[in-house]
Amino acid sequence: METISIFETKEKNTKKGVKESFPVTGMTCASCAASVESVLKHTEGVFDANVNFANSSVLIEYDEGLNPNQLQNALREVGYDIIIDAGDPSEVQQELQQKHYQDIKSRTIWSAILTLPIFVLGMFYMQWEPGKWISLVLAFPILFWFGRSFFINAFKQAKHGKANMDTLVALSTGIAFIFSVFNTFFPEFWLSRGIEPHVYYEAATVIITFISLGKLLEEKAKSNTSSAIKKLMGLQPKTLKIIENGEEKEVPISSVQVGQTILVRPGEKIPVDGAVSKGSSYVDESMITGEPVPVQKSQGEKVFAGTVNQKGSFQFTAEKVGGETLLSQIIKMVQQAQGSKAPVQKLVDKIAGIFVPVVLSISIVTFIVWMSVGGDNAFSQALLTSVAVLVIACPCALGLATPTAIMVGIGKGAENNILIKDAESLELGHKVNAVILDKTGTITEGKPLVTDIFWKDKLENKNEYKEILLAIEAQSEHPLAEAVVNHLKEENIVQAEITSFESITGKGVKAQSENGSKYYVGNHKLMVERNIQIDATLIQTAESLEEKAKTVIFLGNENQVLAILAIADRIKETSKKAIATLQERGIEVFMLTGDNNKTASAVAHQVGITNYQGEVMPSDKAAFVEKLQTDGKIVAMVGDGINDSHALAQANVSIAMGKGSDIAMDVAKMTLITSDLQSIPKALELSKRTVLGIRQNLFWAFIYNIMGIPIAAGVLYPVNGFLLDPMIAGAAMAFSSVSVVANSLRLKRVKL
Amino acid sequence: MKTLEFKTNINCGGCVSKVTPFLNKQEGVESWEVDTSNPDKILTIESDGATEEDVKTVLQKVGFKAEPVD
Repeated sequence: METISIFETKEKNTKKGVKESFPVTGMTCASCAASVESVLKHTEGVFDANVNFANSSVLIEYDEGLNPNQLQNALREVGYDIIIDAGDPSEVQQELQQKHYQDIKSRTIWSAILTLPIFVLGMFYMQWEPGKWISLVLAFPILFWFGRSFFINAFKQAKHGKANMDTLVALSTGIAFIFSVFNTFFPEFWLSRGIEPHVYYEAATVIITFISLGKLLEEKAKSNTSSAIKKLMGLQPKTLKIIENGEEKEVPISSVQVGQTILVRPGEKIPVDGAVSKGSSYVDESMITGEPVPVQKSQGEKVFAGTVNQKGSFQFTAEKVGGETLLSQIIKMVQQAQGSKAPVQKLVDKIAGIFVPVVLSISIVTFIVWMSVGGDNAFSQALLTSVAVLVIACPCALGLATPTAIMVGIGKGAENNILIKDAESLELGHKVNAVILDKTGTITEGKPLVTDIFWKDKLENKNEYKEILLAIEAQSEHPLAEAVVNHLKEENIVQAEITSFESITGKGVKAQSENGSKYYVGNHKLMVERNIQIDATLIQTAESLEEKAKTVIFLGNENQVLAILAIADRIKETSKKAIATLQERGIEVFMLTGDNNKTASAVAHQVGITNYQGEVMPSDKAAFVEKLQTDGKIVAMVGDGINDSHALAQANVSIAMGKGSDIAMDVAKMTLITSDLQSIPKALELSKRTVLGIRQNLFWAFIYNIMGIPIAAGVLYPVNGFLLDPMIAGAAMAFSSVSVVANSLRLKRVKL
Repeated sequence: MKTLEFKTNINCGGCVSKVTPFLNKQEGVESWEVDTSNPDKILTIESDGATEEDVKTVLQKVGFKAEPVD
């Protein structure tokens, strides 16, 4: 019955699909995303499915007649889930994440509360008989309820013959617990053989508590999921105005077609890609080029979705709409780059992968050796020693080794104006051997400033001219005029009165002062055209300024040029030094910019970069990162703009400038809250110190326990009859934890 | 008994847990293993009658891709 009805609706409304976005749970990597997509696409009644791994959501286009529950069932069968009836997917996602954190938090708190009495009983009232029973009751929920995830994960790993940290935890706590339970119920078994039956409840529970605490710290260090994609999408307006049969009509963005004429008013965002057909204006294209100065657009020139129109108004013909626009492609590429990165395998898991089989082998060897040479009590001695090896092998401090170092590292970063969003970049930073810097806003200040003013020789009343210049520029719409206005205002110049103002498109402006004399402000062409004399020295100066990639503006009256002004995006004072520091450390430094080659070359030359590239598009930047990565380099990308976001997502370590766009900061894993590039070498150094700290911590976590293994195995037994004592296990535990915490805190005093 | 090898996109532990029930249920699959540390994510199957097509179909059901390795 049901199949028929679905079939019928599908027949009737082949095109009537519902588009809806659902949050997905259970995805752990990009392949999962592909899997979800594929499962949904093969579900009957689904036309299309698009998974966004970065924010864990899926956009499904499905038949009206299909109940979302059916979609959910299809996914549940394979082990994923979607949340239906949810308002905002990202909100639900955030709630889930919050809940996940709360879960870990309450789990940790409860294990800690229950562990405390066990620890006190185990350490100080070892001989008190009821203590064992109390510990047993308390330990049970800690291991098998609050700590159940360790056992579940270990089991999953074991099925594939793998071991990680969870295996180590599950194995040692499980064995310590079972052994202790046996000793609690049947102490006679050992007593009859002349052996004291010890219980190890505290060892088992302290491990669970510590490792839960470690996970909690790590979770806390991670920030919320990135909202970069959401912000990128927000760049596109929801509605736009088209001109149809000479009339203006507002339509939703989804209905715009190629070939339609679109009207853009001052201050509006450009909705789709196209070419200007009528009018002209300046357009802020920083999202594509990274350049802060708006670009003039006149007939025939291309405009792009998401860029912002300034003061003029124009019409353009739509050429690319929907998913074809450059903005949509940037969004798609950022998503892909974010989702395609394989998670970094944790050092702890790597060590556990080796450590677990080794300890298991030692335990088995111990058992065999005792069985063959143990004499009368061979079996019980063999059992006792082989279990003791497993119990002591588990380093309690293991769970604290990484998170404590990372917490201190992140704190240290914050002190040095480096905000670190996730532990991964801190762990990878020390391996970086190639740094790519964006030019505008990263190496340079990111906004045009007046760098020099040269006056004609022996000119008097300079201040008067400045007042007139200020008045003219204050009225100008040219994007560079603002730089001049700001500069003059800083000098406390007061605006003069001007009577007429005329803009000469593409060349400059003309104005008249109160006393009737005319002034011109504009480029060289304007001066030549109006026959205004320029001193030879001023021409020479102008030429040399242009060679430095500065824009030169001329101020003239009717007869002669009075002054020339140079405007440029100034290089930050510290950039050169920071780049030199990186190069001294053997790190290759590259510069990529959307700006023209001439400016790129001038800036690169001034800061000492030999590898640079100008006129690069956003996707070229990411491709450049990828190329370096395939050459085996670990790449750090530093940028500030939306045009850098794709490359930031692609890079191994991504660093955003704090004054940059929100999107760049969302994508990047580190943000420098200072404009000083010297923070980059500091961040890399911090990573090196943190990783070193983690390694030392792991050493301290393991060393005391490793030293205990031969004692547990009974190597001292033939010498003095000494077998593993709970005191030794306890001491090993305490020493390793204290050493780890102390070593992590040492990181606080490091000077970067 | 035959050994079949596939290049897959079974990327991580999460993916492995997703395919596990399906591969375990698959008739003619004696045992199987995925090497997720290999960039090609090689799936090795000890087949007792299951064909390459069978494996590809079952993985497709879970939404994963598999290409036989020669």
